[in-house]
Amino acid sequence: MEDIQEILEDFLVEAFELIEQLDQNLVELENNPDDLELLNSIFRVAHTIKGSSSFLNFDILTGLTHHMEDVLNKARHGDLKLTPEVMDVVLESIDLMKSLLHAIRDNGNDTSVGIDITDICRRLDIISNGETMPASVVVAEEVDESAVPSSEEEDNTDYSKLSDKEVEDEIERLLKVRKEEDRKRRENTGATKAAAVPTPSFESLKDNSDNDSDDEAPKVAEPVARRSVGSESSNTAPAKKESASAMEQTIRVEVKRLDHLMNLIGELVLGKNRLLKIYDDVEERYEGEKFLEELNQVVSSISLVTTDLQIAVMKTRMLPIAKVFNKFPRMVRDLSRELGKQIELEISGEDTELDKSIVEEIGDPLVHIIRNSCDHGIEDGATRRANGKPESGLIQLKAYNEGNHIVIEITDDGKGLDPDLLRTKAIEKGMITEREADSMSDKEAFALIFRPSLSTAKVVTNVSGRGVGMDVVKTNIEKLNGIIDVDSEVGQGTVIKLKIPLTLAIIQALLVGAQEEYYAIPLASVLETVRIPLDEIYTIEGKNVLRLRDEVLSLVRLSDIFGVKQVYEGGEHTYVVVIGLAESKLGVVVDTLVGQEEIVIKSLGDYLQGIEGIAGATIRGDGRVTLIVDVAALMNLAKGITVDIRASAETVVKTKTVPSDYIVLAVDDSAMDRNIMKKSMEPIGVKVLEASNGQEALNMLKSAEYSIDAVLIDIEMPRMDGYTLAGEIRKYSKYKNLPLIAVTSRTSKSDRLRGVESGMSEYITKPYSPEYLESVVRKNIKL
Amino acid sequence: MNDKLNQILKKQQEQVDEPHKKEDDVIQLVGFIIGQEEYAVPILSIQEIIKPIEYTRVPSVPTYILGVFNLRGSVIPLIDLRSKFKMDPVKVTEDTRYIVMKGHDNTAGFVIDRLTEAIRIKSSRIGPPPETIHAEKGLVYGIGMRDDNILTILKVEQLLKRDF
Repeated sequence: MEDIQEILEDFLVEAFELIEQLDQNLVELENNPDDLELLNSIFRVAHTIKGSSSFLNFDILTGLTHHMEDVLNKARHGDLKLTPEVMDVVLESIDLMKSLLHAIRDNGNDTSVGIDITDICRRLDIISNGETMPASVVVAEEVDESAVPSSEEEDNTDYSKLSDKEVEDEIERLLKVRKEEDRKRRENTGATKAAAVPTPSFESLKDNSDNDSDDEAPKVAEPVARRSVGSESSNTAPAKKESASAMEQTIRVEVKRLDHLMNLIGELVLGKNRLLKIYDDVEERYEGEKFLEELNQVVSSISLVTTDLQIAVMKTRMLPIAKVFNKFPRMVRDLSRELGKQIELEISGEDTELDKSIVEEIGDPLVHIIRNSCDHGIEDGATRRANGKPESGLIQLKAYNEGNHIVIEITDDGKGLDPDLLRTKAIEKGMITEREADSMSDKEAFALIFRPSLSTAKVVTNVSGRGVGMDVVKTNIEKLNGIIDVDSEVGQGTVIKLKIPLTLAIIQALLVGAQEEYYAIPLASVLETVRIPLDEIYTIEGKNVLRLRDEVLSLVRLSDIFGVKQVYEGGEHTYVVVIGLAESKLGVVVDTLVGQEEIVIKSLGDYLQGIEGIAGATIRGDGRVTLIVDVAALMNLAKGITVDIRASAETVVKTKTVPSDYIVLAVDDSAMDRNIMKKSMEPIGVKVLEASNGQEALNMLKSAEYSIDAVLIDIEMPRMDGYTLAGEIRKYSKYKNLPLIAVTSRTSKSDRLRGVESGMSEYITKPYSPEYLESVVRKNIKL
Repeated sequence: MNDKLNQILKKQQEQVDEPHKKEDDVIQLVGFIIGQEEYAVPILSIQEIIKPIEYTRVPSVPTYILGVFNLRGSVIPLIDLRSKFKMDPVKVTEDTRYIVMKGHDNTAGFVIDRLTEAIRIKSSRIGPPPETIHAEKGLVYGIGMRDDNILTILKVEQLLKRDF
């Protein structure tokens, strides 16, 4: 029982692979009806499926493929011309075959779905008999086929005139003749295995009667025999050999195992990042030490190997995009017949590879785009002629790599998109106001086609026009963190570009800081980053916007979206990360740009799944968890935020008004020195806190209990010295502008230099006059 | 032959079952303090207990979810039981620990004030939860009576269930 199951699974895998090839070949065949090679390979597919399905007792499938085989066989031998009408029926029967295979996969049999094949079989029969004889009985046809190669004159009698009984007798008789011939042939061939040897006389005879090849001969015999003869036949042998040598050595691997491998690599990449970070720290601390070089070598080689390994594993998951593209020639062909237009499809770059999970997602959007191009883009022949275009429309499907992305370009030379028409339609449907429409650029207007329920089609056809398809495109591409770019010119055609990241598990990200928190934005969605003065932000109808070159960009603060606590104000300038997804753009205001890093996407687990705006998490080189921004959700969330960035930035500034609001921290291990500092600052009227060493001071700053405005730091202290303290304080982004004043008896130039390096803003040498300290502090806290 | 085999099998089965029966009576728990009360969870549901480490805040979640932390490469949510039980927050002390609990398909860390001890308690000494003990319904598995105090035994599956 299990054996059967296994065989069945093998059968299905094989069958689906064959069928994919089949569609491609059939459409090609229509263009080159004389390509015998193609015909042969198509015939073999039908034949193989027929053989396997009869073995597995799928009678309906066997019956269907049997009839297809008949037609194809005729075509193969030139008895039948493959007109588009014939192809329609053949393609339809292949569709039926597909549904039967799906049924078998889902239900384990081909009977329960109730697919009726009698009609299609009858039509196949009409075709196969059409040119040779009017008889519509399958048996008669078989007789005919078995008769042809037997090359005896009387075999060509008109069977349609015979009664059933006579037909059966005739079969009997022919079988006998057949068997006799087979026997003779076997004797002739004897031990010699070459197929060419026994057939010369045979073939010459046949060539006289018609163009049959000899594998036709044993057709009535059992399939196994036929197949073996078929492979010996001079006609098919070279083709077979070719395909065998072309077939690469492969093994099937469960996707689950690859996923597991990918996860492990992910861990390794995290480890590598960690190692690099530690190396940086160590390098800083033990500068010039000998072991550093050795460590450097190890770290670099590990990092190199990890990267190679990651690429290698990623490649195992890659599939050529041909897997998706292959179904389009057939689709375009069907559509062009259905719509009565002449449309050609040109495919290039089908070898471009993509991660398996992406290949699975990309199919649907492409179907919709191409359908749209066929239905709305390409005009009918008459219109095209009138516009001076070639009568037959052209759709180009192109795939190519661009950095870490793959770009899929769909170009048609149809009538193009009319931005004004789109604007009017959108206003009609109440999607946008007239004012919005006026301020909309043409590009933004093109983007309207991705809104649900917008369609410029005057009539809803079988193919499209309901305004659903492009919405699907948008959602699917967003899911993949892809970007859609539409360009069009009225009368010239439309270009739709889909830009999709190569893989989903390990990505490049831009790390940004929002106040004290860090977030990772997938680099695939980052278009650019700009630094702008706050007063360039304008408010239009309660929304923050920025004029960036010729575009008006909506702005939103990352810290507003994620409710980050405002602990410090950013100053007069701010950073804007321009993100783009599908067809829309948004400027995200952040406080710091950390840099670009390769990150491994980790799920937040069931407990925290589906948090709006967060796509997952990653572990950084320092071991901390950083959340990854879900760009699509972010764009949605941004719509609900109406914080006036400029106003709120201004209100944060200076809540301190009188000197007693200010706090200065004095860090010195000597109580006397602290007292001197305190005394010196008395005239200013600020509050002074004390700490006796670096560690204590750092803890006070960390706890954020007080908002400290300046720190006076002695250099020589127990537990943590002044340089280290300054370095640690500067690690906190909120203290990056905090005045740190070194107060020390170290006077050498190198000491001063070290002070500057560690982040000190002033350097006062002991002894100092109280007035001098006072003036320095005043200057630094701006009092 | 068959009888003999059956007898041996039966004997083996009894041997397998017996220690279970004995252990069924005693439940092993780990006790900890939150606020003034002592709580406990079954020892088998605890993956590990660690000292507080840095965590990352996660936006738009209830306040009792502090964020996520990195446990040797896994990203794990951190839940503040004090806040979940509607107690006032306190600062992290020397005794503060994260208890990492594991359920069927979830793992999470819970912040507790202090660990007490591993506890063995007879199941006969565990009573049903009083009806009005907690605002958080369903979190309590039962009340363990001990010689000197009582324990609130928590349901781990319920703790690990997302409730927002």
